[in-house]
Amino acid sequence: MSVWAVVAGRELADLWLRGRGFALLVAYSVLLSATTYLVATNQAINFIEQREAVGLTLQVAVAVGALLALLAAADAVSGERDRGSLETLLLAPVPRWQVLAGKGAAALSLWLAAFVVAVPYVWFLGHGIDLVAVPLAAGLAVGTMLALAFTGLGLAVSSAAATSRVSLAVCMLVLLALYVPTQFPVGATTGWAAELLQRFNPLTAGVHFLGRLVIDGRGAVEEASWLAAPLVFVVAAVAASVVAASRLRLTGVRE
Amino acid sequence: MRAVEAEELTRRYGALAALDGLTFALDEGRVLGVLGPNGAGKTTAIRMLTTILAPSSGRFAVAGIPGERERDIRARIGVLPESAGYPARESGEEYLAYHARLHGRSSAEARATARRLLGEVGLAERGRSLIQTYSRGMRQRLGIARALVNDPVVVFLDEPTLGLDPRGQRDVLQAVGRLASERGVTVLLSTHLLDEVEQVCTDVLILNRGRVAALGAVGDVVARAAAPRSARLRTDPGRCDDAVRVLRGLEAVGAAAAAPGGRPGEVAIELSTLLNTDAAAAAALAALLDAGVPVVEFSLEGGRLSDAFLEVVPA
Repeated sequence: MSVWAVVAGRELADLWLRGRGFALLVAYSVLLSATTYLVATNQAINFIEQREAVGLTLQVAVAVGALLALLAAADAVSGERDRGSLETLLLAPVPRWQVLAGKGAAALSLWLAAFVVAVPYVWFLGHGIDLVAVPLAAGLAVGTMLALAFTGLGLAVSSAAATSRVSLAVCMLVLLALYVPTQFPVGATTGWAAELLQRFNPLTAGVHFLGRLVIDGRGAVEEASWLAAPLVFVVAAVAASVVAASRLRLTGVRE
Repeated sequence: MRAVEAEELTRRYGALAALDGLTFALDEGRVLGVLGPNGAGKTTAIRMLTTILAPSSGRFAVAGIPGERERDIRARIGVLPESAGYPARESGEEYLAYHARLHGRSSAEARATARRLLGEVGLAERGRSLIQTYSRGMRQRLGIARALVNDPVVVFLDEPTLGLDPRGQRDVLQAVGRLASERGVTVLLSTHLLDEVEQVCTDVLILNRGRVAALGAVGDVVARAAAPRSARLRTDPGRCDDAVRVLRGLEAVGAAAAAPGGRPGEVAIELSTLLNTDAAAAAALAALLDAGVPVVEFSLEGGRLSDAFLEVVPA
C-alpha cells in the first residue's frame, strides 16, 4: 500500500472513529434540516418555486460541505505542529507530498459524507418535479471541485502556519472573502462588473453554475464557462499544496 | 566505521549562531552523551543530524550517508524528539504500527513489530490502552520504541528523561543502555543528567553557546577538564594537627588544614600541581603512614563528569 493510503487510513480513523468528523456532520445535518424545512414551508405557501428550493438546499450543501473540508485541511499539519507530533512524521522516510495527500484525502471525506447526507434532502424536495439526478450530479461535480480546492488551500496554509489557530484564521478569512459576494443585494449582482466578479470568484461561480442548471433549467455544456474559476482554483490550490509539501518544515514559515 | 560525522556544522538564525562549527565523529556502537546548558545548541545539533533542520553551512553524514540524502538517512535512524507529542486517542500498539507502516512494513509486519517493541520497552500489557492513559515515563518509553520501528543503526534521543521521576529516569536510561549493549546501535543522547551520562555513555560532547566545549571519551574529558586536585583525610581527632604538619611538609601537597565545618579529625588537602593526582595522593598517604598518623578515610574529591561540565561551561 502506498504511503498516502497509509496516512489517509490513519487520518480517516482519527477523523471518523476518534475525532470530530461525526460531530461536524451532525451540526451540518441540523443546518441542512433547518434550511430544507424553511424552503419547503416557503414553497408550500408559494414564496419560492420548487426548483428554487432544490437549488437553495443544494447550494447550502455544497458551500458548507466544502467549508468542512477546509476546516479539516487547515488543521491537518498545523494541528500536528501544535500537538508536537509533526517532527516524528517528518522523520518518516517518505515523500512529504504523500503525507499531505493522505491528509487531504481524509479532509475530502468530510465533503463526501456531507454530500451523502444531502441526497435525501434533495430527493425530498425534488422528486415531485423529477428534479433529482441533475442536481445531485451537478452538486457532486461542483462540490468536489470546491472541496478539492479548499482542501489544497487548507493544506498549503496549514503547512506554512506556525499554529492551527493562525492556519484556521487565514483560511476563514479567505473563505469569508469568497462568500461576501453571495450576500450582495440583487441590484449589486447585475451588470458586467458584477458578472465578472462572480465569474472570477470560484465559490460564486460554482454556486451560480448550480443555480443555472437546477433553478433555470439550463444545460451543463451551455453554462460550462462558469466552471473556469473553480477549475483554476483547484489547479492553483493543489499546486500550492504540492509546493508547501516540498517546503514543509517543523516550525512553518518562521524557520 | 563512522556512525556519525559532522564537519563545521553551523546553523544561524540571522546574526545568532545556534550552533557554530560543530565537528566530531562517532564510531559504530558508541553512546555519545550530548550535554550543555539550555540554549547550548543540543537540540539544534540533533535536528540537523536527523535532517529536520537544514544546516546554514558545514557537512555531515549519518551511517555513512551524506546529509544531502535526507530520506536515506531517515530510513536508517531512529529519533525521540524533545517534547514529542503523542495522539491521545490512539493505543500504543496502533501508534507504533502506524509508524512501522510509514517505514515500509506491511500491515501484519507492522503489528508484529509494534508488539515486539512494546515488550522490549516494558509496555506489553498496556499496548492496547489509549496513550492518554500513559504516564510520562511510559510515553517516553513508547517514544523510544517508536524510534526503533525501522531497526535503526543510529538512534538520537533528545532529553528522554526530561520531566521524569527518578524511577522513570532509571527505566529510560536502562532502555538506552540496552540499545547499545544488546542491539549494537550507536546512540546520541542529549540530557541534563550528568551522572547518568557517566553510567551509560562511552563518549561525551559538551556544547556551550553553540560551540564545542569538550569532546571525547568520558574518562578523557573528565581527566582533561576536572582531574581531582583535592582530597579529604579523616584521622584520629587527637592526631589532626600531626597530620596537617606532616602534609604541609610534602612537595606533593599544596595546602592542608582542618576541614572547616567538617567532622572532628577531618583534614582538607589541596594536592600540588607538580605531580599527577595519583602520585600526589600516594605520596601523601605514604608520608602519613610513615609518621604513624592513623588514616581512617582518604578520598579524592572531584573527578566526576559534573566537575568537568562546570569547568568547561563557565557560569
